[in-house]
Amino acid sequence: MADKAILFDATRCTACRGCQAACKQWNENDEGEGEKTTNFGSYENPKDLSPKTWLKMEFRETERAGKVRWLFTRRACMHCTNAACVKVCPNGSLYHNELGFVAYNKDTCTGCGYCHDFCPFQVPRLARTSDLTTQGKMDKCVFCSSPGLDRIAAGLEPACVKTCPPDALEFGDRDKLVAEGRKRVTTLRTKGFGNAYLYGDKELGGLHVMYVLDDSPQAYGLIKDPQIPAAAIAWHDILKPVGWAAVGLTVVGLGLNYVIAREAKMTHDLPGKKEK
Amino acid sequence: MEEQWIERYRKPTRILHWVYAACFLVLLATGLILFLPPLAALAQDSWTRIIHRVASVIIIIAPIVYLVFNWKSALKGLADAFDWGWDDIGWLIAAPRYYFLADEKAMPPQHHMNTGQKMWWLIVIVSGLVFTVTGIIMWAFKTTAPAAVLQWSVFAHDAVFVVTTSMLLLHVYLSVIHPLMRPLRTGAWSSMARGKVSVEYAKSHHGKWYEEVVGRKEAESEWEKVEVTTK
Repeated sequence: MADKAILFDATRCTACRGCQAACKQWNENDEGEGEKTTNFGSYENPKDLSPKTWLKMEFRETERAGKVRWLFTRRACMHCTNAACVKVCPNGSLYHNELGFVAYNKDTCTGCGYCHDFCPFQVPRLARTSDLTTQGKMDKCVFCSSPGLDRIAAGLEPACVKTCPPDALEFGDRDKLVAEGRKRVTTLRTKGFGNAYLYGDKELGGLHVMYVLDDSPQAYGLIKDPQIPAAAIAWHDILKPVGWAAVGLTVVGLGLNYVIAREAKMTHDLPGKKEK
Repeated sequence: MEEQWIERYRKPTRILHWVYAACFLVLLATGLILFLPPLAALAQDSWTRIIHRVASVIIIIAPIVYLVFNWKSALKGLADAFDWGWDDIGWLIAAPRYYFLADEKAMPPQHHMNTGQKMWWLIVIVSGLVFTVTGIIMWAFKTTAPAAVLQWSVFAHDAVFVVTTSMLLLHVYLSVIHPLMRPLRTGAWSSMARGKVSVEYAKSHHGKWYEEVVGRKEAESEWEKVEVTTK
């Protein structure tokens, strides 16, 4: 099946945070005790992603040609094609589904938190019942595909897209959205936004959440040229195969040694036995 | 024939060895799950991670307890791990003939620990420190340590895991499986199970150590004789 994606157009976003609320409601993250927040001098709220906040809008005040600008960035899982979390997840609880999203099997999550440690965007969050036992589960945006709450399988758009009043969020085939995003960026450039950029077109093999930006990614608080951490590559692509080889060769070597040494010992022992 | 025995490991040392071994096996098994996705179900709800942590606490505390109550043996043992000399070259040269061709005459007389045992002992010390430091980072500083520190801690923890697992196989093999280590009753196995080895084994496997022990005993009895005679 063709990859699906979400296109976020920052130039259309009004920061109503309807997506945030819809995300919580649909994914049942509004149940139980709510997020406790304090005023930190911004309309932005809550302050950060959490196991119960899979999507939040970030507000940034910047200056451009003497005018104050208020930039809004959608912050949630980017659903990378080259996903560090999928690479380091020890038991395949995080995986790419057939639509290209980073799907998640919460039942098998061990709570190790490697996804949290290795994600270049610091998206996955751990809910731990205790810091001592470290029991817990990770949570993040799963593209509205949680079992029983799977909007995509039901032929619906993700909750955030559905609710977005100014159509700043769109859902569809990734190819089509890439073409649409590029077109909008070209338009922005002709209108004098020289730094306009389609974020997610090429990053990490292509993100499944793309951003139409009228300024540089950095201005929107996005990492320029994100990468899978070197430690993830060293660990998974080098250490793991080397480790299996080392243990395997050790076992084979010891087996060989046993056969050779036993033979040698028996020949040594024979004349000794004759003497007795 | 009546076998003559010689003490090799005292009880506290043997207890430490087996506690460490048991914990290491538990840690190995619960850690290995991360390398074997089909065993994912076992790690569900963090249970193996909790077992891993319980064993890690014991494996960290056990050597510290030993260090406090047996500090003389502990310091001597630690000194042994860093006592390298020309004799070790002799072992390295002789090792292939000895271990593959079972040629016991090729091996020069060894101290209390031979070069191979010292290498393993050094690996245990160094890997233990790396495991402990990186493990504590990942356990206690999960939310506060910088991402890069956590990432490379995972890497280092697994790197020493690979080294120690391979070397543990070698250790077990050379202690109880290798043809020259038979019979188990009198040799390496006996030394850790009961604390003593046969005089025969001591002579053939740790000649220098045997001479030392006998020398010390003779010196003691000499001294006793002197004591007696002066009275």
